[in-house]
Amino acid sequence: MARFRGLTLTAGLAVLGVLALTFAPALGQTPKYGGSLNVMLREDLAQGFAIHESSTISTVWPASPCFNNLVLFDPGKPVESADTIIGELAEKWSWQDNYRNLVFFLRKGVKWHDGKPFTSKDVKFTFDMLREAPDAQAKLRINPRKDWYANVEAIEVPDPYTVAFRLRRPQPSFLVMLASGYTPVYAAHVPPASYRTGCIGTGPFKVKEWRKGEFVEYMKNPDYFVKGRPYLDGLRYVVIAERGTRTAAIQAGRLDVSFPGETSKTIAEQLKQAVPQLVITPVGTTVNDNIIMNVKKPPFDNVKVRLAVSYAIDRRALIQAVHGGGAVVGASLAPKPYGVWGLAEKNLLALPGYGKPEDMKARARKLLAEAGITPQNPLRVEMATRAIAIYVDMASFVINELKQVGIEATLKQIETAQWHAMATRGDYQIGANLTGLGVDDPDGNFYENYGCGSPRNYSQYCNEQLMKMVDQQSQELNPAKRLALVYAIQRTLEEDAARPMLDWRLDYFTVWPHVKNLVPHHNIYNFGRLQEVWRDK
Amino acid sequence: MVGEALESPPHAVWGLPVKTYIAQRLAIALLTLFGMSLVIFLLLRLAPGDIVDVLFSTGGYVRPEERVAIMKELGLDKPIWAQYVEWLRQILTGDLGKSYRYDLPAWQIVKPLIPVTVELAILSTVFAVLLGVPTGVVSAVRQDTTLDYVLRVFSLAGLSMPSFWLGMVIILGLVAWLGWIPPVTYVPPGENFRLHAIQFLLPALAVGYRSSALMTRITRSAVLEVMREDYIRTAWAKGQSGRVVIWRHALKNAMLPVITVIGIEFAFLIGGLVVTETVFNLPGVARFLVQAILWRDYPIVQNLVMFIAIVVILSNLLVDMLYGWLDPRVRYGE
Repeated sequence: MARFRGLTLTAGLAVLGVLALTFAPALGQTPKYGGSLNVMLREDLAQGFAIHESSTISTVWPASPCFNNLVLFDPGKPVESADTIIGELAEKWSWQDNYRNLVFFLRKGVKWHDGKPFTSKDVKFTFDMLREAPDAQAKLRINPRKDWYANVEAIEVPDPYTVAFRLRRPQPSFLVMLASGYTPVYAAHVPPASYRTGCIGTGPFKVKEWRKGEFVEYMKNPDYFVKGRPYLDGLRYVVIAERGTRTAAIQAGRLDVSFPGETSKTIAEQLKQAVPQLVITPVGTTVNDNIIMNVKKPPFDNVKVRLAVSYAIDRRALIQAVHGGGAVVGASLAPKPYGVWGLAEKNLLALPGYGKPEDMKARARKLLAEAGITPQNPLRVEMATRAIAIYVDMASFVINELKQVGIEATLKQIETAQWHAMATRGDYQIGANLTGLGVDDPDGNFYENYGCGSPRNYSQYCNEQLMKMVDQQSQELNPAKRLALVYAIQRTLEEDAARPMLDWRLDYFTVWPHVKNLVPHHNIYNFGRLQEVWRDK
Repeated sequence: MVGEALESPPHAVWGLPVKTYIAQRLAIALLTLFGMSLVIFLLLRLAPGDIVDVLFSTGGYVRPEERVAIMKELGLDKPIWAQYVEWLRQILTGDLGKSYRYDLPAWQIVKPLIPVTVELAILSTVFAVLLGVPTGVVSAVRQDTTLDYVLRVFSLAGLSMPSFWLGMVIILGLVAWLGWIPPVTYVPPGENFRLHAIQFLLPALAVGYRSSALMTRITRSAVLEVMREDYIRTAWAKGQSGRVVIWRHALKNAMLPVITVIGIEFAFLIGGLVVTETVFNLPGVARFLVQAILWRDYPIVQNLVMFIAIVVILSNLLVDMLYGWLDPRVRYGE
């Protein structure tokens, strides 16, 4: 544990060092109360405030100020890990019975926005609903993260301020998933469906008005259980669908804060040139570009063809051409300093697609030849992708790379409404895809995206041996051993070309200098509470 | 031609009084709306994907049993004809249904959007008329002079520039040169009239310029045609001033095609302001309609498109009635 903590701490300190200059003024100043902030939203709230029925930053970011979790990643620390978790509704917690029981001791005197008291019943209500326990008091319309709670056997509430999660097997990652922005506690006395239209939370801000398609406005929660918080009187999340207008709005000062994951390196450079005083912080997003290949259908049922695709794509050239340098290479978990579990660049060199581009392409041609694909008998495929620019740009680059090794791919754009459903059904040959991880955690990623039969395992790749390793790492209590297992799993995934990773996108999170103490995390989903943020103007 | 009725006017062929004529037009309008409702309804359902697919995207995954439950909850499990009949029943009872996306009555969502779009369309049209008609008259009167060429280039430029492009240029120009852009959330006139005016003036200018270009060209050619008529020559011969000849005799008779264009443009703007509303971030009908289509939010799309259809039909009706005011031949049809 100590070694693991040391490793995390080193990574954390490195990032903090980079950010130190950016946040130096905020750290040295006394916070001020009052004022409000205008915050960017790229589209209206997808499912209202119903975070548990949504998997998009367009819900989590604007809905987070309304809620609290049991535990949360420390808002002041950009790198997220088990070591940066702090209590929120839980005052303290304790792992018991060799990581089989997780007991939370809740804060007293916490009130919902409608004045009713918060108790352990609310916690049981929420997590029974999420894991779809037979005796759950409510059911969600859709429940995208049910798998996160698959290991929960029972939830016990011995008294109004104690909750015990009984797990089927040890799972250290369980606490990490509870700290995600996707894990707020709902009120037991409020129907879950009502969160699609309004919000009764315990959070630092109360919803004042939601003008559909236009803005969401919050006011300070005067009864917030953290004394002296929030600093701000209010927040206004302004929906601006057009990217050019969004950029102009932040440049002109109509907005104080950008949208997580929205500012590319190119835009950041333009903004900095126009308004030098803007504070721009490069952070990871835990969103990666990847190639999905349907392993159930020819030709990608042949691992040689899949590997040829992986070898053919020059990741570093893609990062320059498509992202203007605003991304980093990595395997299936985000690399340091943006994540805790990812393979470092030096460890990637031996994997498909990371060597010298000409060598990699030669290797790809050789593999294709072995699979019977030659210039005389070229492979013709449809490259499916979601019909939005960030997907299409990447897909176009990949098509060009594949052409150089003899794969003739044509672009097939799929409308957003159909993209995920199509990918889950496996109605495609090869696709250019983006995957976002709610938490930087092996359990949160491997089961969802590589698990046999998982609906989000778009490639339909199934390796039982690998899944045993995934189960093993999930319950491994020795951090060093677990990290080694996680590394091995990532290598296997790349060597099998299960879902070749191309890059991890970076965000250039932008705020005006009067916005203080807003520390962007290397994960876009988990720093939206904003209770520590203040305005120096 | 003013004061003369030498031939049977187009709207008098039936020899019907205006009231009957309007009643007939209303009956046709109702029939058109009925046809429109069918087309909208069927086209929406022919488009691939539905609200559950969209929830799939935003939720990450929808299990088959969840899909069935949602379809049932929204009434999408019923046969198409039953869904259509239900929608018609809702329209006739004044209930516009419930938004799939927002889980709120459709009217509650649509209502605040309408004034924004109507105001923008009216302002754009007014701007287009104020700029386009006088420019067209001047261009015709000064035919083949330098001024005519300048005005023709000006109008051609307006026709060539898409209004959304012009809008974006305005926004980027303002932010680059002044470090300022209009408010990005809607400011009601009662809250701050100056900001409200600024917020609408720029998009109205961007949209109105394109429409004005069209009006300039139509006005120019219509005035040129009328200026060659005998009665204009007579007016000149009677010694009437240029202002009277041009603005009273020529322009009044040249206005029929211009009025038609104004009507068409206004109707087009109600539904065609998508990009302008998006660029200037105005919460209007068109921008919201696109979002609703992407979300397959049938109740919102169906009702907004019907609203646009009603505006188009009403503006055509208004144009027809204006014909009667402008052209005495229509009045003689009474």
